[in-house]
Amino acid sequence: MNKRLLCHLVGNVVRVCGALMILPIIVSLIKRSGDTLPLLLSMLIALAVGTALALVQPRRDTLRAREGFAIVAFSWIIVSFLGGLPFFFSGHIPSLVDCFFETVSGFTTTGATILTDVEALPKGLLFWRSFTHWAGGMGVLVLSLALIPKMGARSIHLMRAESPGPSTDKLVPRVANNAKILYEIYVALSLFMVAALLFCGLDWYDSLTHMFGAAGTGGFGTYGDSIAHFNSAAVDIVVGIFMALFGVNFSIYYYLIHRNWRAAFGNSELRWYWIILLGVSAVVAVNIMPLYNGSFFTALRYSFFQASSIMTTTGYATADFDLWPQLSRVLLVMLMFIGASAGSTGGGIKVIRLQLLVKSMVRDIRRTVHPKSVNTVKLDGHTVDEGILSGVQGFFFAYILILLSAMVIVSLDGFSFETNFTAVLATLSNIGPGLGMVGPTGNFSAFSDLSKIVLSLCMLIGRLEVFPILMLFSPSAWKK
Amino acid sequence: MNIIIVGNGKVGYTLAQYLSKDGHDITILDRNQQALNRASETLDVMCVRGNGANVKTLIEAGAEQTDVIIAVTGNDELNMVCCLAAKQLGAKYSIARIRDPEYTESLTLLQKKLDIDQVINPERTTAQEISRLLRFPFAINIESFAHGRVEMVEFRTEDRDAVLNTPLSRLHSRYPRIQFTAVQRNGSAFIPDGASVLLPGDRVYATGDRESVTQFFKHLGKDTQRLKSALLIGGGHISYYLAKIIAGMGVYLRLIEIDEKKCLRLADQLDGVMVINADGTDQEVLDSENVGDCGALICLTNRDEENLITGLYGARHGVKKVIVKVNRMNAMDVMDDLGIDSAVSPKLTTANAILRSVRALNNSRNSVVEKVYGMLGGQVEAYEFTALEGAPYLNIPLNQLNIRKGILVSVLVRERKCIIPFGSDRIEAGDTVILTAKAGTVVNLEDAFDITEIRR
Repeated sequence: MNKRLLCHLVGNVVRVCGALMILPIIVSLIKRSGDTLPLLLSMLIALAVGTALALVQPRRDTLRAREGFAIVAFSWIIVSFLGGLPFFFSGHIPSLVDCFFETVSGFTTTGATILTDVEALPKGLLFWRSFTHWAGGMGVLVLSLALIPKMGARSIHLMRAESPGPSTDKLVPRVANNAKILYEIYVALSLFMVAALLFCGLDWYDSLTHMFGAAGTGGFGTYGDSIAHFNSAAVDIVVGIFMALFGVNFSIYYYLIHRNWRAAFGNSELRWYWIILLGVSAVVAVNIMPLYNGSFFTALRYSFFQASSIMTTTGYATADFDLWPQLSRVLLVMLMFIGASAGSTGGGIKVIRLQLLVKSMVRDIRRTVHPKSVNTVKLDGHTVDEGILSGVQGFFFAYILILLSAMVIVSLDGFSFETNFTAVLATLSNIGPGLGMVGPTGNFSAFSDLSKIVLSLCMLIGRLEVFPILMLFSPSAWKK
Repeated sequence: MNIIIVGNGKVGYTLAQYLSKDGHDITILDRNQQALNRASETLDVMCVRGNGANVKTLIEAGAEQTDVIIAVTGNDELNMVCCLAAKQLGAKYSIARIRDPEYTESLTLLQKKLDIDQVINPERTTAQEISRLLRFPFAINIESFAHGRVEMVEFRTEDRDAVLNTPLSRLHSRYPRIQFTAVQRNGSAFIPDGASVLLPGDRVYATGDRESVTQFFKHLGKDTQRLKSALLIGGGHISYYLAKIIAGMGVYLRLIEIDEKKCLRLADQLDGVMVINADGTDQEVLDSENVGDCGALICLTNRDEENLITGLYGARHGVKKVIVKVNRMNAMDVMDDLGIDSAVSPKLTTANAILRSVRALNNSRNSVVEKVYGMLGGQVEAYEFTALEGAPYLNIPLNQLNIRKGILVSVLVRERKCIIPFGSDRIEAGDTVILTAKAGTVVNLEDAFDITEIRR
């Protein structure tokens, strides 16, 4: 392990993160919300820590897969800790564990909160809390790659460790240009969404903060009752559709811009994504019709928003889906597992992995019938590498294993099975709200510190797709 | 520029490495996933898996917008089809590696019909390199510029050479038609100025027209006598081309090849060459051929180790010129320590040739790059430019031009005549200008001068 390079690059990422705190400071000055000082203090600390780490000059600049994983994992942990300092300094969240939980939840775009009264927080802090979603959505390292011109030829390992999906394919030859293209698409979509929200009558502050939440597929709002606060069909539709758009693989938008229609529409993950999303929306709409006086379209408004919010792992709510019929609740939990597309800002297992798992299962069945048959798993006409296939199976197993073990620890607190299960699933899949006590109207404040740390780890494991965090605990990665 | 490289072998990988460092956007195409993984792990390039002759794969790799396609797979036919297909799709320039001697005779036709802009034949290029070395047996490297009018010869200075311990400004008056363009001392290279002094053991590049260079070495007392006999070990493509090239030089050439079938074919194809069917690495065989009395020993088998050991054996028995072929590029550095001056590597030669032409494609405003040549382990480069009408540096005496530090205007070629420039000489439109500079400092001719000064 090249520890000097690790320090150097993590320092650079921390500096970028510290520099980003200038935005909430500006907001707090405009809004005169009185939280400038804690934000400024945190920014200075982050810049100082970042600079100190970046001063370590690497002797060699060999960056292999393991360094890439470790840099990503450490960056996320340190950035989450430093990003939580404003809450601590302002005194609004007195416990450091709670601050860490809240910021991890922000950067990993989970949206799970320990705050019982969100609206009590000053505007600057709320802006920062939402902004962590936006920064974490596309990835803090990808952002650093786009901003810092030379991270070396091997920075692909950083991008691979941070980008969600079974394999990271480049759009253009250079990693830095890839990062730039992704962020350009991200910024453009975000601006469209802000414009749409402003058009719906929201003020600039609400538009921005809710865009951050939706774009990163995070789910932090600035009101206790989430999107339901606006009680507007237009806002529901805008946010619902944009969440779904941010859950699409960003490569698709690149292909669309370059008029490569075949690559864009021939993508089977995109097809499956929309079929699942719209299918579940329709079934849930029929299921909850009685709750909305038998009106299918009113029911569809709520069901599509919720399906989109859960599948993209955002976690915004326009209705308390915990009170919906069992079928709808179960379908939503299924969506929590599936998650969004690879290469999007969403979390979960990802549609493409589900596709590959189903296809390799079908292959195994075929093999039982014809033991000597030779089959390959194909996706969009290309044979999938066996290495990727076994990687996906390993990922799925690790995901379930972590889900179960975290549940065992969390159950020490003595809450119901439904609460424990969905709390772990909602954090591991980076959604936010689950069912029961952690439902859309509840929060995570009642858990013990141990559970909160375990759940924070779940969020990081989910966002970084298991292996970067697990690798930190592998002794052989650190041996000389 | 956008560049697609088909085939990620040693040549493809080396090209990707250097071109990516030069700032080009590289896409590598290969059928083998393992080869691609190696590139994507260590280089900042895009990898696409598939057959390079498949139009769908080429489109996926972006052939429609690409500036250059370089086909360097192990298969000549595949390389040709790749270039043809990519050209049809819209690639602007194509380079193919074609090595089979069967094709070389019909090359012009093939090139025209298949719309291939440049063909690289590693074996023939290597053979040409070797034949140049044989012409000046004492030279380590020889490169020609301006269509062969200018020659740059690298040699090692020895004790009591007449050029030692004299400032170059004084040497200039003694040899007015010779320019000393680069020096390597203790592993580091520099570009000499008037005050520099040559010391024994330096590797020096002397530049000038053919005649003057020959005269110069004669005057130095270096052995410029024609090579009388040479022993070739290994009967591959390089040996075939080399035998063809030096057949006219009046050299008594013996070729030792272990495979009888190959021997028969070579004997059939080549005239005036003694083909011997024996194991050329066997010392008994070498002794019976009087290796010590040979003018040159050239080891061209497929195994680096055997070439090296045979080469060392020859050097020990008094062969003056030993040339060794190596495939592994990291072996090149070791060579110097072992006492073998001249090593050739077809792979490196190919990569260098392609690298040069890609760099030369980067044409600029008022000058055309004709050639870029890396010397002294790539630390120094020599550039050949053509100065075009309208450039700001024309018709100004060189001593008023503010030439940047570390750059030497080595030679001007005007109306087929070679001029060693002094302070009062001027660059005129249409001149061929040969510069030497530290690697990577010059992209076009204007870079050599402080233009803002001129404009004022």
